[in-house]
Amino acid sequence: MSNLSKTVLNGVHAAMGGTLVDFGGWEMPLWYPSGAVKEHLAVVTGAGLFDTSHMTVILAEGAGVRAFLNYAVTKDIGSLAIGRAGYGIILDEKGEAVDDCIVYPLNEERFALVVNAGMGAVVIEHMKKVTGGDKLAWTDLTGKLAKIDLQGPAAFKILKPLVAGADEVFAKFPYFSFKGDFDMAKTAIKLTDGTPLLLSRTGYTGELGFEIFLPVEKAEEFWGKVLEAGKDYGLIPCGLAARDSLRAGAVLPLSHQDIGHWPFINNPWPWALPFDAEGKFTKNFMGREALNAATADHTLPFVGFDPRKVDAHESKVVYDDQEIGTILTVVADMAIGRVEGKVVGLSSPDKPEGFNPKGLVCGFIKVDRKLEPGTVVFLKDARRQLKVEICEDIRPGRTARAKLV
Amino acid sequence: MKELNELNLPTNVKYDADHEWVSPGAPCRIGISDFAQDALGDLTFVEMPEVGAELTKGEEFGTLESTKSVSPLMSPVDGKVTAVNEALSDDPGLVNRDPYGEGWIVEVELKNTAQIDTLMDAAAYKAHVEKESAEH
Repeated sequence: MSNLSKTVLNGVHAAMGGTLVDFGGWEMPLWYPSGAVKEHLAVVTGAGLFDTSHMTVILAEGAGVRAFLNYAVTKDIGSLAIGRAGYGIILDEKGEAVDDCIVYPLNEERFALVVNAGMGAVVIEHMKKVTGGDKLAWTDLTGKLAKIDLQGPAAFKILKPLVAGADEVFAKFPYFSFKGDFDMAKTAIKLTDGTPLLLSRTGYTGELGFEIFLPVEKAEEFWGKVLEAGKDYGLIPCGLAARDSLRAGAVLPLSHQDIGHWPFINNPWPWALPFDAEGKFTKNFMGREALNAATADHTLPFVGFDPRKVDAHESKVVYDDQEIGTILTVVADMAIGRVEGKVVGLSSPDKPEGFNPKGLVCGFIKVDRKLEPGTVVFLKDARRQLKVEICEDIRPGRTARAKLV
Repeated sequence: MKELNELNLPTNVKYDADHEWVSPGAPCRIGISDFAQDALGDLTFVEMPEVGAELTKGEEFGTLESTKSVSPLMSPVDGKVTAVNEALSDDPGLVNRDPYGEGWIVEVELKNTAQIDTLMDAAAYKAHVEKESAEH
């Protein structure tokens, strides 16, 4: 796998016994010796540490950058405050997703976008073609910054003692906000040892946590320090398999799998679109006309009745004896189970005593019609036909928005 | 992922190219090798045949599932299932933790006991794994 890109923590993953695989051209850990199930459960009940340095940070600078990005990204960021972050989709004129992103306004002439691995050049090229995009300065920071995600209900307790002036830093720090700057020479946020960083209260697991950006040369030291600080909280390093099952249980899309070359509409992510209370768009944006006209398929979350899965590549969705669509994501969320028919999670306040879930199959389907939550459909591959139901939410009791205490 | 020299490959069972093992004698048990469980990762579900089912060498008789994948179990022999490991319904992770012991999958009555002799011994299987790993 020598032709793959490697993050600065690649040697650490190998030394920790990580199973390394090719992920979009990057050699990344799929899981560590503790295994994907324990890693998934650790993030739901304690905390997990992820190397996501393969992701891409792009800087967009120049006069009018806010107005430009408010056109180029679906989220209405017209009034997104400095220090707040917004999740949106970068659409083309057909209303189809180029990639998803988190937008970080740093000041009125300087915004950052965090997009997916290997997407830096593609996104910048796309942006330069959008009217006004060629007047901004675009910088791909891939390889300049490390990104480490600390996720799970214990994340704040683990991180707090490591951060300088923590009482002040964490005093007002709601979900989808950030502290610091992507320019490590400028950022005001530091570890107690002086290491500069940007802290973003975001993540891809549905659980409380932070995405932490820091200089690559400090990544290994920080990784070790956090693992040490989290020992008593059940913190373990986690790989991409756990990340995938956690995000699916949190009803979050995987770019280029759950969103992609079809109109970004009729899906479980309306909060990424600029809808007003009446379901009209609040602003003009790239792809808007196509979305208004789209008679697109419906992307719907589902949850099953046991952990069994089908092979997503060869499968169909069957409803009322008709094939009505395909499966985008199918994984097992091992932190949930059914109690008297109802989906209960390890973090559900109403879970029964001694609750020990066996996991449930869940994910997303793309079908030719709207189906109400509770509708039963079948996932069919060459081997089996699996009964699942359309749902609104998957893993109950998620902590992403919990108070920092 | 385990290095080749870290694999537990006991010499009292025989192996097939699809990474199942068979224990000679009666009852004859079938499971998956340490290499297979390590490559699949944590198992979340094991689908097993019914007692009484007829297995055919080289054909699928169940599945092993991780959080992300579904993999077929291929029978290394012809025979009839006399027992399945019910403990795996509650704890599929037994296959990961003890692949040759508590993580056995089915017990079979062989159609032809001589079929076992056509399978690989530990040394031949190790060479097979080595060759497969080198090709990837």
